[in-house]
Amino acid sequence: MKKFWRCFVCNDIHYGVKPPELCPTCRVLNAYVEISAGEARRMMGLPAEGGFSREKFREAIEAFAARNEFRVNPDTERVDTLLDGLAANEEKHGLRYCPCRLITKDFAEDSKLVCPCNFLVHETYKGVEQGECWCGLFVRRS
Amino acid sequence: MKKYMMFHARECPHCRKMMPVVERLEKEEGIAFEKLEIWHDEKNADLMRSFKSVLAPQCGGQLRTPTFFNTETNMAICGEVPYETLKDWAKK
Repeated sequence: MKKFWRCFVCNDIHYGVKPPELCPTCRVLNAYVEISAGEARRMMGLPAEGGFSREKFREAIEAFAARNEFRVNPDTERVDTLLDGLAANEEKHGLRYCPCRLITKDFAEDSKLVCPCNFLVHETYKGVEQGECWCGLFVRRS
Repeated sequence: MKKYMMFHARECPHCRKMMPVVERLEKEEGIAFEKLEIWHDEKNADLMRSFKSVLAPQCGGQLRTPTFFNTETNMAICGEVPYETLKDWAKK
């Protein structure tokens, strides 16, 4: 069954049975995370329909992290808090914007805040042994 | 007079961790932070956005929470920081 996938680095959208191993645009390996049809539509400037449930989103980010050098934070209380914020932002603003940053109302700029975002460049992650994305949803595997 | 703002978000774990740190600073140093929630209060969000040109360069180029802002000096500090770091920032 075909699904929607988004590159967490450059936000390219792929529709297919499997995610591309190598992003054709930014050339990052294992960068695709499964997203809802609603998020794919919103990222393409269309009205959102068909969002993921909280559990489906959790499954998607777990599967995405399993292919990478990072994992979903084992601090379940923190993760639950962040999932609450992501769900609230999706309901109010149409996309799962990071609960620890604020949208600017510039769509192109704000698309960089959709979770999972390109946290590989965050100073809290890049080159940091115990690195994590800004909000702490993803942490580098030790 | 110095005016301290704390931009925070309800579902931001860093903000939750910093609240008791801020309260300790307020109590021990006799200062007060105006605490502004930005994801569930559009007025506060607009206020934070109005300071973007000052805040973003000091916070990784983005509007992040928590952000502590001194409106007199225009100095900002972001994220989870130790008590002494926040105190040193507040006294500048």
